[in-house]
Amino acid sequence: MLFLQVLVNGLLSGGLYASVAIGFSVIWGVMNLINLAHGSMVILGAYITYYLNASTGIDPFLTIPVSGAVLFVFGYLVQKYLIGHVIEASVLMMLILTFGLDMFLMNMNLRMFTADIRSITPVYAGLGIQLGSLRIPYTRLGVFFFALTLTLALYLFMKHTKLGNAIKATSFDSDAAGLVGVNVRQVYALTFGIGSCLAGMAGSLISVMYSFSPIHGAGFAMKSFVVVLLGGLGSIPGAIAGGLILGLAENLASVFLEASYKDFISFVLLVAILVIRPRGIFGKQFYADLKA
Amino acid sequence: MQISRLNRGDGLRRAIFGLLCAGAALFLIFGPFFLSAYWLRILTQTFMFAVLAQAINIIAGYAGYPAFGNVVFFGLGAYATGVLVVKFNATFILSMMVGIGICLFFTLIFGLPVLRLRGHYFAIATLGLNEATKALTDNLTALTGGGMGLSLPLIPGDVETNSRFFYYMFLGTMALCLLVTHFLMRSRFGYAIRSIRSNERSAEGMGINTTRYKVLAWMVSAGFTSIAGSLYAYWMSHIEPAIVFDMAIAIKAFVMFLLGGAGTLLGPILGAFILETVSTFAWSHLLNYHLATLGVIIIIIVIFMPRGVVFFLQERFFLSSLVKKIREERTV
Repeated sequence: MLFLQVLVNGLLSGGLYASVAIGFSVIWGVMNLINLAHGSMVILGAYITYYLNASTGIDPFLTIPVSGAVLFVFGYLVQKYLIGHVIEASVLMMLILTFGLDMFLMNMNLRMFTADIRSITPVYAGLGIQLGSLRIPYTRLGVFFFALTLTLALYLFMKHTKLGNAIKATSFDSDAAGLVGVNVRQVYALTFGIGSCLAGMAGSLISVMYSFSPIHGAGFAMKSFVVVLLGGLGSIPGAIAGGLILGLAENLASVFLEASYKDFISFVLLVAILVIRPRGIFGKQFYADLKA
Repeated sequence: MQISRLNRGDGLRRAIFGLLCAGAALFLIFGPFFLSAYWLRILTQTFMFAVLAQAINIIAGYAGYPAFGNVVFFGLGAYATGVLVVKFNATFILSMMVGIGICLFFTLIFGLPVLRLRGHYFAIATLGLNEATKALTDNLTALTGGGMGLSLPLIPGDVETNSRFFYYMFLGTMALCLLVTHFLMRSRFGYAIRSIRSNERSAEGMGINTTRYKVLAWMVSAGFTSIAGSLYAYWMSHIEPAIVFDMAIAIKAFVMFLLGGAGTLLGPILGAFILETVSTFAWSHLLNYHLATLGVIIIIIVIFMPRGVVFFLQERFFLSSLVKKIREERTV
């Protein structure tokens, strides 16, 4: 029965990992840009939820649209007025640029929110579903549900809207997309906005499940790397699969080895998947290999 | 593009450049006799980062493989020294040699599979190797002291002598690294890895054993990083996995390398001096905002000098390189 509980815990935290990674994946897959500021953006979302909850008592899950909207605007402006201007720089330079952005954001988060570790305890925090000896807390279930919903929404958006198709077209071949009338700069700004929006919403989910401080963003950015590469760059189902696999692997590792081996397992997994199947489980050749 | 192009043509500027280099070298050699302890320490750290940046330059700048997680060798070197000195009473030199040996073995074992990856994928794989090694070091408490870290015995002697000792050790390592890079790049090895950077397939077609040279390049890079790690362990006399395997060290060295100019001899060193000076200034004057200041400076540099300081200066002050650039652009 312990084993079953571990599996369930793994799946539940995997859902959260997926939702954290998906914004990162979209930006990387479409724009070939590794956004190292992702972690700080996620944490920013978590703080928005924290302060809304602390000041008005609003349910943390209801603040998701707010943190999403704030981060969308932020991401859109950053891409439009900062990153979008750097055209001739190499991919690595862009990595450094987003690293600089991350330092800036982390510093600002520290100044605005202090380094104190925060957490949110909704009224139903201790409650949960009891199935025999299996126990599922409501908060974790809610986080899992919202993580999957967000991912599904993004999937449908990419598949069925005009903008979604324009984004996909740009990710395949930005020159050709430009030729058929897609405003590539605008699409990039919107994509970065959407990626940041997802980061903010994931941050709201994190705030329900974990305690956090400005420096905790880096850990989530690292996890996003693992998830994205496991699942495949820019692939939405891939992010879910990657998140769930990582969540399961970590939780199984903490049972069979020791809890402190969690990180070791996840990074061994990362190196192994890169060596064996660099494009990830669901990744398609054209998403990244063409641009690499 | 080589910095040695600075030396062709532009006679007067060439002389000025040579004088500046000689002046800088003299200043650094005699520095400990007139600089305060504060600046000695900052310079020592700058030399250390210059070594790390130059090591990254060898594998990332010349061979074109962005080894993002190169800090793993820094940590391995530091821990080789720490564990051997504390648990086995080894001498520093012996522990440093063992550290280098471990790093060379590491690159040989993991280099073969990981160097098959390119670009981002290689960068992330090395990052994964670092994080996995860090987690393992954290868990092997019996040997490494785990998260509590290891405290090395203090070096006997007064503070001033010791700080001079580390100053010259790091300065010497930096000079050695510079010389080795300089001569390696003029050798068959240098031509081989640069041809791998420009086009790996055609390099292979020309009969270059690309796998061998890639692994060799990473070995050289790992060796120097490991020396810096060993020295660091002795210098700080306390090491922890979270500190010596810190990705921030790798990223800082990477920023220095890109800032100065990838694939140039002096670029990484210049980058180290610029970034360290700026970050020292940020620490001392804008303590609460020093990260943000550094972040903004990095952003500004990427926007205005996307190819690094060396190329930026070259284009400004050396007519010949400007002409060359225009020619290159025409042919492309």
